[in-house]
Amino acid sequence: MTKSHPSRLLIVDDEVQIRRLLRLALEEENYEVHEAATGQLALSEAAGVHPDGVVLDLGLPDLNGREVLRRLREWSQVPVLVLTVRDGEEDKIAALDAGADDYLTKPFSRRELLARLRAVLRRTQPSSEEIIVRFSDVEIDLAARIVRRAGAEVKLTAREYDLLRYLAQHRGRVVTHQQILRELWGANAEDSTHYLRVYMTHLRQKLEPDPRAPKFLQTESGVGYRLVES
Amino acid sequence: MSAARPVSEPPPTPPSGWEEYAFSVLAIFIVTAASLILPDSYYLSVGLIYLLAIILLCLRVGRGPVLLAGVLGAFAWEYIFIPPHFSFAINSLQDGLLFGTYFVVSLVVGQLTAQIRAQAQNDRLREQRATALLHLTRALAEAKTLDEAICAALQQTDELFSAQTSLALVDENRDALIPHFASSYLLEGKEHATADWVFRNQYNAGRFTHTPQNSAGCYLPLVRDHKTIGVLGVKVPPEATLTVAQKDLLEAFARQLALSVEREHLRAASEREKLLAESEKLHRALFDSVSHELRTPLAVINASADSLSGADPNLRGQLINEIRTAVRRLNRLVGNLLDQSRLESGTLKPRLDWCDAGDIVNAAVENTRDALAGHPLAITVPDGMPPVRADFALTEHVLANLLLNAANHTPPATPVFLTAGIELGGQRMYFTVADRGPGFSPAVRGRLFKKFVQDDDTRTAGLGLGLSIVRGFVVAQGGEVVAGENPGGGAIITVYLPHPPPKAVAQA
Repeated sequence: MTKSHPSRLLIVDDEVQIRRLLRLALEEENYEVHEAATGQLALSEAAGVHPDGVVLDLGLPDLNGREVLRRLREWSQVPVLVLTVRDGEEDKIAALDAGADDYLTKPFSRRELLARLRAVLRRTQPSSEEIIVRFSDVEIDLAARIVRRAGAEVKLTAREYDLLRYLAQHRGRVVTHQQILRELWGANAEDSTHYLRVYMTHLRQKLEPDPRAPKFLQTESGVGYRLVES
Repeated sequence: MSAARPVSEPPPTPPSGWEEYAFSVLAIFIVTAASLILPDSYYLSVGLIYLLAIILLCLRVGRGPVLLAGVLGAFAWEYIFIPPHFSFAINSLQDGLLFGTYFVVSLVVGQLTAQIRAQAQNDRLREQRATALLHLTRALAEAKTLDEAICAALQQTDELFSAQTSLALVDENRDALIPHFASSYLLEGKEHATADWVFRNQYNAGRFTHTPQNSAGCYLPLVRDHKTIGVLGVKVPPEATLTVAQKDLLEAFARQLALSVEREHLRAASEREKLLAESEKLHRALFDSVSHELRTPLAVINASADSLSGADPNLRGQLINEIRTAVRRLNRLVGNLLDQSRLESGTLKPRLDWCDAGDIVNAAVENTRDALAGHPLAITVPDGMPPVRADFALTEHVLANLLLNAANHTPPATPVFLTAGIELGGQRMYFTVADRGPGFSPAVRGRLFKKFVQDDDTRTAGLGLGLSIVRGFVVAQGGEVVAGENPGGGAIITVYLPHPPPKAVAQA
């Protein structure tokens, strides 16, 4: 699949060195890069260039990154990858709740950055409506609601399948516990993380090559889960 | 509390009331009347009876009434009993001598009695004063804190003088009087102004002093080394007064209190000094340690970056690896410093949720993979272990710090063991990190979980914050950490966390 034009990205960070390094890494991948150093500039830039994705640092000098996110979300559904310096989960969860698609904790590697970016950009791309999702030797047929492992069908309970489907639809991206519980079991199930843990253990036992050290159904420390395709 | 008797104090030469004079007159009248029944020839004995009556009177009444009785007795005797009767004339020389002797003796007896009584009075006062001071010093000595001492002293002053007392201490930083909470009346308006005047002028003021200032209370400065350290105020009821002796006693009280306050000031100052020295030492150690820990990876990065240009691809790969390792080390150090400050700022609020113990273990192992390289790691998490209640990120940091600790303090290739499980019939869960290294030296054992603790013999990586953070994070989650000897050699650290049943939590 060839793109008609390169994806336009807006990088929002007050540190010029970070902007420079991100630009280097992203332009090498043929992205078109725009920069903004403050929250106000970011909002006007976003309105001006209509980027396909935003990389947003949460610690900005003028506006709180979360506030930028909130104002952006008032009129735009552009995918947003948030950069944080702290590994406090509250900040990450708050950013995800405010509409961020994923986060990356500084310091991060180029490989991580590109993988996350690809995953969040996929959300608005039509090709994301794939019917078959594959990871490891597992194949999920979303249309037929069938999961195969090494060609043989795997029996999943309804709850296990729902969980897997939700992760597959958001593959490569983090989903928080609350998102899963809200989407799959309704608003008043948000305290049922205990069950979620148990379902995830079952899924891993059925699908992971080594359930004790899961490679594909990954845990995001204190935040949620992420299905990684490779 | 010692029961202090109020000092009810007559002055050294007490003025006799009219009752005493009436009593003397009555006594002489009775003696005269009684002596009338004796035959006339007994008039000499009657003189002795008068003398006896006067000496007995001395035991009851003061000098004035005794003198009055002496004079009255002399004249009654002379007029009624000494012949010729009912006349002031004296016939014989013998009668004259007797009368004169009687007169002088009664005067001298009156004078002596008064002196003895005054002496006794003085002794009693001195004893009362000594007892009061003794009670006060004992109360001050027994008090564990200055506040306790002041409470005791003020209560005693209240009782002794049947008055209200107030104490204000000088706050040196603000150059002002701060009333003490144990005061039994408030220093307000005029009273406060007078107390302040006393503080500034280091001189008694208020009622009963030369500078009354229209205030109801009497104020004395607490002075040590020519510096006012407080003001003691005493407010007696308007109708009562303070005698010289009471004022004396009050001043003695003020001196005692001043001593107490000064002692406390000195103690606090030396305590501050000690703390300061301690924190200075800690600061220096921290500075040395932080600069070493920060500069080492920075030096590595700098040197590697310098060598990168012109390096062949093989060397280039090695240099890049060095930079990555240095960055991870720096990142970990910064993380530990942040964790420690989070703990100390008291803003740490664990987010307890159900976690997969295996997930926590995996995350911790993943984060320490590079540091643990070369150490065989055996992980034991039981199959089917139910979710545990913990803060995922905090517990992950705890395990990562324990793993790093094991890796950093054991020789290369020393095996490390990480185990999780549930015990006590499902009441609590544990993680253990054990190794086959040298174990903890006895010197470091007791302070293992304190900040900046390093094994003194070995200069190893790290700031000595790791275990302090471990303890902080575990305690924040309601758990505990125990360090011990691994049976068969090496160190073992066990983290215990409460393991509530899921239903109880869901209902809560």
